[in-house]
Amino acid sequence: MTTSLRTRLILGIVGGMVLLLTIFILTVYILIQRALVNQFDSALLSTARILAASVETDANTIDLEDVQNMPEFNDPKYQTYYQIWEQDGKVMARSPFLGTDNLPRLEGSLNNGVFNKLTGRDRPERAVGLKFLPRSETGNESSSQPAANDKILILTVARGAGDLYNQLGLLRWLLFLASAIVIALSVLIAAFVVRQGLRPLHSIASEIAAVREDDLAARIGTASIPAEILPIKNRLNDLLSRLEGAFKREKRFTADVAHELRNPLAGIRSTIEVNLTRTRDITEYRSALSECLEIVENMQTMVNNLLLLARLDAKQISFQGEQVRLAELVNSCWRPLSKEATNHKITFENRIDPKITCESDRQNLAIILSNILENAVEYTDEGGQIRATGRQGEGSVEITVSNTGCRLNNEQAAQVFDCFWRGDSSRKDAGVHCGLGLALVDRIIKALGGSTTAEVENGGIFKIRLTLPAK
Amino acid sequence: MRLLVIEDYRPLQQSLLKGLREAGFAVDTAADGQEGLWYALNNDYDVIILDLMLPGIDGLKILKELRSKGRQSHVLILTAKDTLQDRITGLDQGADDYLIKPFEFKELLARVRALLRRSYRQKNPQIKIKDLRIDLTTQKVWRGRNEVDLTPREYALLEYLAMRAGEPISRTDIWEHVYEFKSAASSNVVDVYIGYLRRKIERPDKPLLIHTIRGRGYLLEGQP
Repeated sequence: MTTSLRTRLILGIVGGMVLLLTIFILTVYILIQRALVNQFDSALLSTARILAASVETDANTIDLEDVQNMPEFNDPKYQTYYQIWEQDGKVMARSPFLGTDNLPRLEGSLNNGVFNKLTGRDRPERAVGLKFLPRSETGNESSSQPAANDKILILTVARGAGDLYNQLGLLRWLLFLASAIVIALSVLIAAFVVRQGLRPLHSIASEIAAVREDDLAARIGTASIPAEILPIKNRLNDLLSRLEGAFKREKRFTADVAHELRNPLAGIRSTIEVNLTRTRDITEYRSALSECLEIVENMQTMVNNLLLLARLDAKQISFQGEQVRLAELVNSCWRPLSKEATNHKITFENRIDPKITCESDRQNLAIILSNILENAVEYTDEGGQIRATGRQGEGSVEITVSNTGCRLNNEQAAQVFDCFWRGDSSRKDAGVHCGLGLALVDRIIKALGGSTTAEVENGGIFKIRLTLPAK
Repeated sequence: MRLLVIEDYRPLQQSLLKGLREAGFAVDTAADGQEGLWYALNNDYDVIILDLMLPGIDGLKILKELRSKGRQSHVLILTAKDTLQDRITGLDQGADDYLIKPFEFKELLARVRALLRRSYRQKNPQIKIKDLRIDLTTQKVWRGRNEVDLTPREYALLEYLAMRAGEPISRTDIWEHVYEFKSAASSNVVDVYIGYLRRKIERPDKPLLIHTIRGRGYLLEGQP
């Protein structure tokens, strides 16, 4: 089966046309043929009846005097012949034009004819056969009760039907020709209609072809579109919107990455250039080099984070499941931060029940907790407080890390998981944190089958809540 | 010449500070928007080097604020934002120049010098006053055929006087344009440095160049 919609439609339309035409034409032909033949036959039958009525018999002979006076049987132009038999098959009389030919003996019932088409002679003829009771010459008119069955005669009357069959042949040809023309025309019309009908598809196709990957703002179907294609158009446009959104996010992300890399690069470059402007003593070079090293270390962290994000997005990271004691893990993640926290007089309180465990990937869970705690230390006010709490739910575990000194509102808090988003205001260390830590937290948690929320409570308490599946 | 660097990324801020100071400028720095705006509004800087993405108040807002308050300081935007639209917005908001990070320090210096020349309507990077010749690019000074060896501070003072040659300049003006905000110097220091400068530039056999104008300050001869 062809897959071309156009061919299918054309074949369907033309096939239907052919079928309908055939049925219609056959019906018309049969009706006309029947009417013509019936007309012919009834004329033939009445001729035969007249002939039968004109025949008189006595004991052994037949009187055809009246018949011989009937013009049909005396003029060859009427092409009408008869033959009369007795019941035993003996020919009683025949038309003089028949010569030695015999007509077939058609035995109809009494007074009712049977018809047949004859093709034996040089032209087609139709014949009617009937049985009749001839009048008796004795004048006994009573035919209600035939004296004897052997008086019954058999008559066949035939008439040339060349004209009838020629007419029917012509009719056949006419109908055939007409239907051939109609079908040929219907192929053309179907092709035209189908082409017109499918034009919106072509125009949509060319519109789709015109969509370029660098300009996804274009939408399909600005022109009028048939209702059947509307869903396709709408779905395509939805798809385009989603693609456009994804490309935009991708572009913005790339731009953000470039931007975030430019700052440290500018730092390294200008540190080096400034120090190269003149000869300096060794301590100056040393401090310049260690400054550059610090910048490079921060860049490295950022690049690692970006790589991790990319791998998470591409689902290229596999997780191992093991029983993790959360309180313990939080403590071990806090340890490297405690010195910095002490410097800023920040106190930390781990209130997670030591019994709470969950089955998860320890290493990635550690990245999550470290990032959250690091973020908390970064943004807690001097002398503030960080607190971790835990709750074992049904089939899930919840960890909440809260810190004081938050200056965000709830709307901003919802953005903390976006890449490169920063809480702004008083960053202590521009360039060290580039706004990837919490984005990573969010992506890893999702990859582990959990979720994150962030909110700000009254009094500037910032809360990040992690929900993890217990198993 | 006095500059302000508003830049929150510390390593960059510090290297700019060092490089610009070594190039003979008096440089103040600010690490966030509020501080930057305060400095910019309360001092008369010749050139402000402005980052756009700043904590507190962002760079464009600072620029707008400065221009709406009628500050004439030349502003050079130094940012990682590199799109055409960013550059157009920055310049249209009243910036005088736009440089994208990372940048070459020499180019930054050249652009700062160009802005300074523009501030004082001094198209020619060589200033000639009588037989005194100052090359603003190489920062070399000649009196007649003899090169004069000046310390950076003396050069800065001379450059400022030369940029405004022919008009009397108050001690406060000199102090504001040659000394940094955080320096302990007071305007008396100006007299001391004028003394040093005179000793190096004036010749007994040549006409006097730096005049003291009683009650108003100093004036460097204006006729070439």
